[in-house]
Amino acid sequence: MSEEMRIEDYLAKGGVLSNPANVPPRYRAELLKLMASFVDSELAGAAGFADIINQGPGIKERIAAARIVLEKTDHADRVLRIMGEFGADTARYANHHPWTARLARDADIGATRGEHDMRLAVFNYPLTGWADAVMMNLLMGRAVGVQMADFALVSYQPLAEAFRAIAPVEARHAELAEEGVARLIAAGETETLTDSLSYWWPRVAASFGQMSSPKTESLKAMGLRHASNAELKARWEAEAGQVLGRLGLSAPA
Amino acid sequence: MARFHDLTVTDIQKTIRDAVVVTLKPETAEAGAFDFTQGQYLTFRHDFDGEELRRSYSICAGKDDGVLQVGIKRVDGGAFSTWANEDLKVGDTLQAMSPMGTFHTPLDPGAARQYLGFAGGSGITPVLSILKTVLAREPKSAFTLVYANKGVNTIMFREELEDLKNLYMGRLNIIHVLETDAQEIDLFTGLVTEEKCGELFRHWIDIEAVDTAFICGPEPMMLGIAAALRAHGLEDGQIKFELFASAQPGRLKRRVVSKDAADSANQTAAAITLDGATQTVTMGKDSTILDAALQNAMDAPYACKAGVCSTCRCRVLEGEVEMVANHALEDYEVEKGYVLSCQSYPLTDRVVVDYDQ
Repeated sequence: MSEEMRIEDYLAKGGVLSNPANVPPRYRAELLKLMASFVDSELAGAAGFADIINQGPGIKERIAAARIVLEKTDHADRVLRIMGEFGADTARYANHHPWTARLARDADIGATRGEHDMRLAVFNYPLTGWADAVMMNLLMGRAVGVQMADFALVSYQPLAEAFRAIAPVEARHAELAEEGVARLIAAGETETLTDSLSYWWPRVAASFGQMSSPKTESLKAMGLRHASNAELKARWEAEAGQVLGRLGLSAPA
Repeated sequence: MARFHDLTVTDIQKTIRDAVVVTLKPETAEAGAFDFTQGQYLTFRHDFDGEELRRSYSICAGKDDGVLQVGIKRVDGGAFSTWANEDLKVGDTLQAMSPMGTFHTPLDPGAARQYLGFAGGSGITPVLSILKTVLAREPKSAFTLVYANKGVNTIMFREELEDLKNLYMGRLNIIHVLETDAQEIDLFTGLVTEEKCGELFRHWIDIEAVDTAFICGPEPMMLGIAAALRAHGLEDGQIKFELFASAQPGRLKRRVVSKDAADSANQTAAAITLDGATQTVTMGKDSTILDAALQNAMDAPYACKAGVCSTCRCRVLEGEVEMVANHALEDYEVEKGYVLSCQSYPLTDRVVVDYDQ
């Protein structure tokens, strides 16, 4: 075949890459960053949630929490394996950082990530108890759902496939959280939940990043992003708002 | 981390003038490391005048062929493919990593699926592996191959495909599309574009019955076919791509070590290129290249800052740096001047680094 095309043009037109041998350097860097951000968030999320398992009010709740910890760790593993194909030392990566580390509850870091890992800012805040963890998981679960829909279109095929497999499991985590909140409301915990809701809502919202990010355009050209931060956040606000409505709660103004 | 195994070349066959099919045999103890899935590829390494080159080639054998074979087409100016076509001999040893790649779907002996494969030129190699395997292991499934080539004499595996058609009578359908050679049916001449696919789907291929499509070929061809498949209702999950870009990086130049690298205090002038723009910054020799870039508002890539993930990789073009930890780059990358910028401190008074290479 005599057709020639620059790989950048191929990507800009929606082309898909399939192995580490043919990714351009800047694409490689942004792809690894995206994967590291996902892996770190899953590892930090799972580590934080692991401490909460025993606070579950009953066996069913503890099973649900343990399952979420297991599956989020598995999702980190799946994506870390793809990073490994690019040379990352996967065994060392899993242990190079204390994933349970958290800042103070009242730290105000906006969307800034920590110095030493790429977890979303929201995973730097500590959970205060069972109800708080369930509410955080409900809001963040919905955010992950919105992000997953964008991630499933990512132009690196092995990663897109991993995300397509991960998405329904993550969606189930959000459903478990919704069931958990419903049970807590029935048990008369509405006030604690409302406090947690006002704490987590702005922090999860901030995890979508800056509303006008110059970066988005170059990521879009590489097929690593499709929607803008603002679009994703708006989608989350609408979807999470609906879920809260179903539960008789409402999003903070 | 990548691990290479020795393989012995047991056979070399020319399939067309400038392509060979190489049969390989792993050491007995390592045979398990080469138990491949149809459609996967092998990454080889070979030393050319002291510089290591790595190239990936798809396995063209089916799961039940009992051999490990790759097809290597000579690319103009391609050191590895030229060497494989001209100098490689039976009895030579090649080094390769275990098979990799996700260009396949799970097999189900009871399934009656309709597969559609598109191959351009040497893109036939993984598609051949897939079609041989699914026809053998899914007795109720059928495969349609659209195979694009310049002309009749550049069709790799032409005879083998004819034999397969006879072996799997009625289950393997092959449409050859030739760029320059005229054929009886006008539609089968030219390039495989989105429009051409549309016409094929009208009269020759029942696109609504297709369960999975595989595409391996040059970039514009893949884009056109994918667009046509989506327009005819296939979901992203049903379309599998394999791209071995003509853009596999060519031979890299060695980095320059500047002669006037005398010590002047503890300052270094670092010229850092990122996204096509170069910024020269003054930095302390106790600072990493990555931190210097970040402190100067450059959006340099990084993730773990521990030398583990390789996100921050850049290339040193001039001067020298000391990389204090490295858990991600391999020797051949380091020899080419790649460093992990989160672990690299300048040693010379001037360094030139590039994140775009």
